[in-house]
Amino acid sequence: MKKICLLILSTCILLSCDSDDNTNREPGSLELRFENKIGSENLILGTPFTNSSNEQYVVNELKYIISNITLTRKDGSQFIYPVADSYAVVNEEESSSKMITLTNIDAGTYDRITFGFGVDPTKYPIESGTLNFVPTAEEAGMLWSWSAGYKFIKMEGTYTPENGTESNDFVIHVGSHGANLDNYKEIELAIGEDIKINSATASSKIISFDVSQVFNGANTIRLEDKADIQVDPINAPKIAQNIQAAFSIN
Amino acid sequence: MKKYIYIISIFVFIIGCSSDNDGGESAVDDDYTEIPEEVSNNLLNLQIPSNFPAPTYDISQNPPTEKGFELGKKLFYDGKLSSTGVISCGFCHIQEFSFTHHTHITSHGVNGRIGTRNAQPLQNLAFAQDFNWDGAASFLDAQPIIPITAEDEMNESISNVLRKLQEDENYPILFAQAFGTEGVTSERMFKALSQFMIMMVAGNSKFDKWQRGESVTFTTDEEAGRSIFEAKCSSCHAGTLQTDHSFRNNGLPIDPEFNDIGRERVTGSPEDNRKFKVPSLRNIDTTFPYMHDGRFRTLRDVLDFYTNGMVNSPTLDAQFRNADGTIGLEISNTEKEQLIAFLKTLTDNDFLLDQRFSEF
Repeated sequence: MKKICLLILSTCILLSCDSDDNTNREPGSLELRFENKIGSENLILGTPFTNSSNEQYVVNELKYIISNITLTRKDGSQFIYPVADSYAVVNEEESSSKMITLTNIDAGTYDRITFGFGVDPTKYPIESGTLNFVPTAEEAGMLWSWSAGYKFIKMEGTYTPENGTESNDFVIHVGSHGANLDNYKEIELAIGEDIKINSATASSKIISFDVSQVFNGANTIRLEDKADIQVDPINAPKIAQNIQAAFSIN
Repeated sequence: MKKYIYIISIFVFIIGCSSDNDGGESAVDDDYTEIPEEVSNNLLNLQIPSNFPAPTYDISQNPPTEKGFELGKKLFYDGKLSSTGVISCGFCHIQEFSFTHHTHITSHGVNGRIGTRNAQPLQNLAFAQDFNWDGAASFLDAQPIIPITAEDEMNESISNVLRKLQEDENYPILFAQAFGTEGVTSERMFKALSQFMIMMVAGNSKFDKWQRGESVTFTTDEEAGRSIFEAKCSSCHAGTLQTDHSFRNNGLPIDPEFNDIGRERVTGSPEDNRKFKVPSLRNIDTTFPYMHDGRFRTLRDVLDFYTNGMVNSPTLDAQFRNADGTIGLEISNTEKEQLIAFLKTLTDNDFLLDQRFSEF
């Protein structure tokens, strides 16, 4: 049934877009590579870094959920990637998970990409196609068992407070729970140089996630104040806001 | 549009499989599943009682069908959904008791593990808002994730359940019959469970008939109980379904064994400490024990608690605070008996005995 929907949908879309000036109108693909960074360096699991509160931290695990990918052309028209196929868990430990290949994208020249951090809880779970994402999220440990919700980011490791000598564990699980605590964020990135997509061109873009901004963004998160941030109506939204600004594209 | 596609696909499906042979044998091959011929799958009519509110469940997204409902029912009563293969949804949700775990204070799970909360009744779920005592699930379609994966309940992973269903002799055929194409997916599993559960409408109690102006009369006690209920209970137990869907702290003393923080677990907010869902009182006479932890055996115990047992705490619902500084409700012994007489009019025996939902 979905296949039929998709077929009809893509046919409609194919027939309706004719404003681009490319000669090749066959749908193409785009490869998105996610790179997790600390500032300009690559994040290395198990290696210490320092945050702006002079805390030394080591990330041992980093996973996050990406969803709802949309590409926008200069004229504002959009290609919405099939929502149910847009959910992915980016896992630092697994290089294949850091490469998301979008296929069957309408031909065109795009200058902006939009995606979600987490799972949009406002959408009915059937409509948003998340119910088929459940096993993937579960296998990655991104599901709470006591709550029918997702961990949008799972970041765990150890830290040593400023002037401290002993290292302690930190746990950051930010998600949304029930209908009240919504930490889903939409991220829009302008693509510096436009991407042309059609069947003849293999396009690829790197999206960087600056992990240091989890702690040092619009909000400062000091692990010594709170090192276990899970169902936390105060700190979790701050982290989500920091994360929203931590992505860039090149 | 989805509905159309759905109908079209059923149509195509029906036509498409008329050419199969094998005389209806549901033989399973290693490579593909053969769909038995002439399988029709009619839409079911979800009958909404005229005194009911509009459904909260978006039925257009998942219209119940005969085969979807049957699949949901089979899943509901199948121990495969648990890690040990013996604990089904129906193990803790028993129909005669409005799908609660009768006599069990808190529910039991795999290997005799004991949970911390009293299994809630399953009825009128198409009209509910938030699920579980603390609202940990916002949507019915995602709710089964909790009992299936919780350690003290079914202790299984969704991926494993899917594997077991995919390897089963019958499920791939039943999924195809219910959804028109092959594929055992988690979305379909949740949809089928929802289709079974949203059909569970308990709306034919004496109270319903009275509300609809059908030919029933309340006894003197029932009628007196109804007035007391209106005056003293209905600000929270509001409307036809006796719930305003809110979460409130009703002053239960903390049970140190569980130290259940209630809604706070979901929102992380201290303001929600010890708050639990205001339950619907439908079929309440059949669902003992009572409260989120099943601490009370009888309705009388519950009413005695509201008059003499409540304890104060910062999040205690304001409605229980009296002008003179005391807390609790004032209900006389006679009034309690009358209230219980009224509460018994909320029992819908047609629902409790409805063969459509029954395991055997």
